[in-house]
Amino acid sequence: MLRASAVCEAAGFPTSSLTCEGFVRQAAVTSVGIGMPNIPIALVPGHIGTKTVKELREDVLGVTMDEVVANLTVMPAAKSVIAEPRAREIVVRGGFREVNRYFVEHEYSDGLPIVPPTLEDVEEFLRYTDRDPGESLGTLLPDKRAATVWSIAVNGVMAGCRPEYMPILVALIEAMCDPQYGVEHSGNTPGADTLIILNGPIIKTLGFNYTQGALRDGFLPNTSVGRFWRLYLRNVAGFLLHQTDKATFGNTWRVVLAENEDALAKIGWEPTSVEMGYAAGENTVTIARYTGGGSLSSVSGSTPEEMLPYLADSVQRFNNWQITFTTSHGNGTLRPLAVVSPIIAQTLAQAGWSKADVKRYLFEHARRPAYDFERQLRDWNIRGVWDLKDDAANARIPKVFHESDDPNRMVPIVWKPEDYMIVVSGDPLRNNAYVFAHNGFLGYPTARKIDLPGNWNRLLEERA
Amino acid sequence: MTRETTDGYYEAHWPRSPRQERVRELAPRLESLEGKTVAQLWDQLFKGDVVFDLLEEGLKARFPGIRFVSWREFGSTHGGEEKEALAALPRRLKDLGVDAVISGMAC
Repeated sequence: MLRASAVCEAAGFPTSSLTCEGFVRQAAVTSVGIGMPNIPIALVPGHIGTKTVKELREDVLGVTMDEVVANLTVMPAAKSVIAEPRAREIVVRGGFREVNRYFVEHEYSDGLPIVPPTLEDVEEFLRYTDRDPGESLGTLLPDKRAATVWSIAVNGVMAGCRPEYMPILVALIEAMCDPQYGVEHSGNTPGADTLIILNGPIIKTLGFNYTQGALRDGFLPNTSVGRFWRLYLRNVAGFLLHQTDKATFGNTWRVVLAENEDALAKIGWEPTSVEMGYAAGENTVTIARYTGGGSLSSVSGSTPEEMLPYLADSVQRFNNWQITFTTSHGNGTLRPLAVVSPIIAQTLAQAGWSKADVKRYLFEHARRPAYDFERQLRDWNIRGVWDLKDDAANARIPKVFHESDDPNRMVPIVWKPEDYMIVVSGDPLRNNAYVFAHNGFLGYPTARKIDLPGNWNRLLEERA
Repeated sequence: MTRETTDGYYEAHWPRSPRQERVRELAPRLESLEGKTVAQLWDQLFKGDVVFDLLEEGLKARFPGIRFVSWREFGSTHGGEEKEALAALPRRLKDLGVDAVISGMAC
């Protein structure tokens, strides 16, 4: 909303931005990032979603309206921006505890101890990329800071990464800067967290866990790279709790999910990197944000027809309100992810099924009644003005969502089979799966190739 | 007895990088809303349709000559097509003779 207001102000139109009480502080911080620290807001007391019509009327006419008039007719006082350190400045000198106390007090840390980012350690990380430390990979909202290679190394050190993870960290921030991903939405209230999917021989080279416990902390590369992501969101993009990160609940960062490419090779399924447009065998990262999901215990059966109804049912159930991204509002950006263990994938492949076949099955079977689809969004959620018939008639969503007026017709939860993502990982000999509920355009799947430095092999030999 | 420290000594660098946005000026404000045209921009979330109806009612009572351009004219300002929608706004507002904008909803 403030981004829209800023566009109008820059074009010469005075604005008033309607802001619920819980978002006033977020608006104040975000306004600095958009370069208009005094852009005015009009308060809507409390939260609009829980008010009666009478209460809303009293608040809008009694509080909000006066602020709207003032916003549009009185120039807000100028606000100065607080001075900050310079790029690469040493901000604290002292012992481990002193440095960590300083980083916590200045909100540079996630609350766990960080490794102090000294020049020696940062420079060691920089040896593992051919890029210039001063190069900016993009500008990140809401703080609108430069995503420099230097800052990647600093946050990588802090997270406890090893220097040889640096090529992965650079690729991750390249992906974070891609407008398709939508990093600016990372502070939205459902509190989604990014999942990093890793592909390529670098999985084994650097010792990532890709088998049992693949989504659990406990392996240095998986855990520290996941932590790096969250630290970078905090320190460079600028997402801080109680300010710009408005996660209602949130959760700790996700560890890196490395795909089991040995299992894929055995059954002839392509890795996720290929689905994302890269050649098999290339090192890649794929990022997407997920609001939640859950595990499926004991997906039983010896054929796809016996196994997949359970998976399709769970995909539909776990992606509940997230179907808002399937509508015109979300422009069809819902991309549910199913992580299946190697033994499940093997059973499906033995019957001749490819990943594409599984996706087609999910598209055709992970469905819900049209009335239920509409009720979820229009009556229970936040979409006041909307219906499937109208969207389909105006070509804003595919026709499959309105093939008749029967409210009991079954409609898919994505636009096309390819919207599903399937990753193979986890305990090779356990028939469990995990479904992730996707966050649509607020964290759309985005991939990047991992560029290794020219002297990569020599550097690894040095470390060995 | 003095306890030997093992805390080490570090010179730690700033983990952020400079902001890239300079402070920009806001648009000039109006002297009054009387006789002015006000556009409604909505992300089509959180009962904004109800709020805009209430604001229209209240503002028309206070400024009888005020005119509104409904949020229906603009589509959503948030969502999968946000970037395209925002890029088109300045031209659209000018073509519609808009003087000021009310934008919602941050909830």
